[in-house]
Amino acid sequence: MEAILFYLLAAVTLIGTLCAITARQAVRAIVYLVTSFFSLALIFYLLGAPLVAAFEVIIYAGAIMVLFLFVIMMLDLGHPEKMETPRLGDWWPALLLLAAILGSLVILAAGHPQAPNTGFVEVTVRQFSQALFQRYGVAVEIISMQLLFALVGALYLGRRR
Amino acid sequence: MTTYLSLMLLFPLLGGAFIALFGRVLPRRLVEALACAAVWGSFACAALAALAYDAPHKVELARWVTAFDLAIPLSLYIDPLSLALAVMIGFVCGLIHVYSVFYMADEAGYARFFALLNLFVFAMLTLVLAENLVLLYLGWEGVGFCSYLLIGFWYTDKANADAGRKAFITTRIGDTALVIAIAWLFQLFGTLSISRLNGMAFLVPGGIITAIGLLFLVGAMGKSAQVPLMVWLPDAMAGPTPVSAMIHAATMVTAGVYLLARMFPLIGGSAVVTAAIAVTGGVTAFYGASCALAQRDLKRVLAFSTISQIGYMMLGVGAGAVTAATFHLLVHAFFKALLFLGAGCVISALHHEQDIFKMGGLRRTLPLTFWPFLAGAACLAGLPLTGGFFSKDGILAALWLKGSALYFGLYLLGLATALLTAFYSFRMVYLVFFGANGHPVSGEGGLRAMQLVLVPLALLGLFGGVLNLPAYLGGGFLDGFFAHLAGGTTPEGSRMEEIALQGVAGVLALAGLLGAHLRYGGAAREARLKEAALPATPLTAFLLNGWYFDRLYHACLIRPYQALSGVLWQDVDEGVIDDTLDRLAAGLGTSGSWLGRWSTGRVSLYLLSFAAGGALILGYLAWLSL
Amino acid sequence: MTVPLYHVLILAAILFAMGLACTVAWRANVIMMLIGIEIMLNAVMLTFVGGSAQWGMADGQIFSLMLMALTSAEVSLALAMVVYLHRRKQSVNTDDFDSMKG
Repeated sequence: MEAILFYLLAAVTLIGTLCAITARQAVRAIVYLVTSFFSLALIFYLLGAPLVAAFEVIIYAGAIMVLFLFVIMMLDLGHPEKMETPRLGDWWPALLLLAAILGSLVILAAGHPQAPNTGFVEVTVRQFSQALFQRYGVAVEIISMQLLFALVGALYLGRRR
Repeated sequence: MTTYLSLMLLFPLLGGAFIALFGRVLPRRLVEALACAAVWGSFACAALAALAYDAPHKVELARWVTAFDLAIPLSLYIDPLSLALAVMIGFVCGLIHVYSVFYMADEAGYARFFALLNLFVFAMLTLVLAENLVLLYLGWEGVGFCSYLLIGFWYTDKANADAGRKAFITTRIGDTALVIAIAWLFQLFGTLSISRLNGMAFLVPGGIITAIGLLFLVGAMGKSAQVPLMVWLPDAMAGPTPVSAMIHAATMVTAGVYLLARMFPLIGGSAVVTAAIAVTGGVTAFYGASCALAQRDLKRVLAFSTISQIGYMMLGVGAGAVTAATFHLLVHAFFKALLFLGAGCVISALHHEQDIFKMGGLRRTLPLTFWPFLAGAACLAGLPLTGGFFSKDGILAALWLKGSALYFGLYLLGLATALLTAFYSFRMVYLVFFGANGHPVSGEGGLRAMQLVLVPLALLGLFGGVLNLPAYLGGGFLDGFFAHLAGGTTPEGSRMEEIALQGVAGVLALAGLLGAHLRYGGAAREARLKEAALPATPLTAFLLNGWYFDRLYHACLIRPYQALSGVLWQDVDEGVIDDTLDRLAAGLGTSGSWLGRWSTGRVSLYLLSFAAGGALILGYLAWLSL
Repeated sequence: MTVPLYHVLILAAILFAMGLACTVAWRANVIMMLIGIEIMLNAVMLTFVGGSAQWGMADGQIFSLMLMALTSAEVSLALAMVVYLHRRKQSVNTDDFDSMKG
C-alpha cells in the first residue's frame, strides 16, 4: 500500500513541477512549486525521514518560497502578461538537454546491479540528532556562520542609498 | 723541370694573393713592380723549361682528390703544345703588365686590378699545363672568373657590370657542356688524365666519341666566343684596354682552341666532330669579319676581328691541322695584343674618345703608335711576308688539301673572309691615323712608355712568320716541333700548289688593302666621315648590331625566361606560397574571433553552454558504459 | 515499504532534468532560473534521503538538511541581488546585464 502511495505522490510531484515550469506567471509557478514540495515532503516521510520532511515544509515551502513571493511582489514587475515567456526557440535546447541527461542517467543506472530490495529502514529522530551533533557538529557551526554571512550580504545588497 | 713548372705557377699565384691581401697598404710602385716581377718570373721559368725540354713529360706535384676510384692529382704535362703556349702567355702577359702600369696610372683600385691580372695568369697557365681534365677545368673556370671581374672592373657603372655578367653567363653555357663531357669521360674510362684519355679513343663506339666531341666543341664555343655563343665578346670591351688585350685577344679566348687541340687525339677521329668544328670556325670567321666592317667603336672593331680570327683557328683544328692552328694562335696573340695596346694608346691620348669617325691625323702626332699599329694591321690583313700571312695561309692550305666538298666550301669562305679582313683592318688604319690633323692629343709621360711596349710585339708579329715557314722556304720549325702531336703533321702539297695558294691569299690581301685605300684613303675619307653622320642604312645597321643576334637572344631566350620568372615570382612564390600562409594566418585569426563571439557577457548563453557541457559529459559516460 | 531504490532514483533524475530544463528554457528571466535551481536542489535532496533510507544511516538526511540550510542562504543572497539589479536597470532580463562582454 505504501508503494501505491509512493507512486501517487511521485506523480503529483512531477505534475506539479511540470506545471511550475510551464507557468506563464511567476506567482503561479511558485504556488505550483509549493504543491510539488508538499508531496515531496510526504515522500520523504515515506522514506523514513520525518525530520527532513518537516524541515522541507517549514523551511523550503514555508520560508524560501515565501521569500520568492515577497521579492516578486516587491519588484512590481508590471503586467505579468507582458513577461517574456520562452517561445519554442527557447524550449528546444531545454528539451534536448533534458532528454540527454535523463537518458544518460537511466543508462548509467541500468548498467549497475540493483541493490537488494530489502525495504527501507527508518532513521529515528534520536539517531538523526545524535549523528548530527556528534559527527557533524562542526558542520552545524559552519552552516550557522554561513547563514550569518548570507544575512549580512543580503542586508548590504538591499540597502537603500 | 718540376721546379720550373711549379715556379711558373707559383709566381703569379703568390703575387696575386699577396697583392689582393696587402696591396692597399703597400706603396703603389711596389705593388706594380711585384705584379710585373711575378709574371716576368713566370716567363723566365717558361723559357728555362723550353731550353731544358727534351721530351713530353708528366710532373705530379701533389695529391688533390682521392675518393673511391676517382683520383685527381695535381699533375702538369709539358709537351710542345703546352710549352709553346706557356712561353707565349708569359711573354705577352708580361708586356701587358708593364703597359698597364702606365695605362692605369690614374686608377685608384690598382691593387684589385693587378691582383686579378696575376691571378688570371695563374689560371691560364694552369689551364695550359694541366695534365688532367679537372685541373684544366679549374683553370678554365679561373680565367672565366677573373675575366668577369676584370670586364666589370669599373662596376659602379651598370653597363660594365652587365657586360661582365653577360660574359660569365654566356660562357657558363659552354662550361656546362664541358662538365657533362668530363663526367661522361669518367663514367666511360674511370680516369680523367689527358694523356691516358687521348690513347683510348678506339675503345668506344664512334657515336659516343662524336657526342663527347660535340660537347667539347660547345664548351670551346662559349669560351672562345664562336657562333652562337659569341655575343659576350663585343660587350666585354667595357673593361680596361689592357684587359681586352690580354684576356680577350691573346689568352682566354684561345683556351677553347687549346682544349680542342689538346683533346684532338680523342675526338679527332670522328668526321662529324671535325666537320662541326670547321663549320663553326668558318661561319664565325665570316660573321666576325662582316660585322667588323660596320663598327664605329675602335675596340669593337678589334673585338669582332678577334671573333673572326679565332674562327680561323677553329677552321684549322677542324681541318686536322693542329700545327697551323697553333701557329696562327701564337702569331695572332702577338699582333692582336699589339693592336689592342695601340688602340689603348690612341684612346688615352684622345681623352677616351673611342669613335673612329672622330679620330684622324694621328699619323703625324703619334708616330710611335702609328708604325707598330700599321705593322699589326698588316699582319691581321695577311699582307705577304708578314707573320699573319704565313699562319693564315697554313690554315687555308690545310683546308684546300683536305679535298672534300665541305672543306672546299669552307676554303672559299676563308678566302672571302681574308678579303674582308684586309678591308676592315685598313679601313680602321685610314680612319684613325690618316686625314687632316684636327684633334688635340695629350702627350703624357706614360704615353711614351706605353708606345715603347708596342715595339717588341710589332717585331714579333712581322717576323713571326719564321716560326713556321712553308716547306719551299726552308721548312717549318713548328712543324718539326709539333710533329709528334696528333694532327701535328701537316699535309704536304706539291710545291706548285703551295705557291699558288699563297699567291691567291696574298692577292686577296692586297686587293683588300686597295679597296680600303680607294674608299677610305685621301679625299674619299671626308665623304665617308660625312656619311657616318647620317642615319645608317639597313645593311650597315645589320652588321653594326652583330647580325641582330643580341635581339634574337633577347626575344627567344631572355624574354620568355623573364616572363617565366615573373610568373614564378608573383603567381607561385607570392601567390601560392606566401598567400597560402597569409590566408592560413588570416583564417586562424578569423576562426579565433569567431570563437570569441562565445563570450557575449550574457548569462543565458553561459548557462546554456554549462548545461550542454554537463550533458555531454554525462552522455559520454553513459556511452562508455553501454 | 518495498519500493526499489531504483525507482526513487528515477524520480530524482526526472525532477533534476526538469529543473535543468526550467533553468535553460527560462534563461532570460532571473526569477524563473532561480526556481529551476530550487527544483534541482530538491531532486538532489531526494537522492540523499533515498540513499539514507536504503542503508539505514543518518548521513544522507543530515546532508539534505545542510543542503536546505545552504539553499536558504543562497536564495536570500540571490534574491537580494535580483532586487539590486532591478533597481539598476528596471528589468529582470538576464541578457540586459552583459557588461562582461568580450
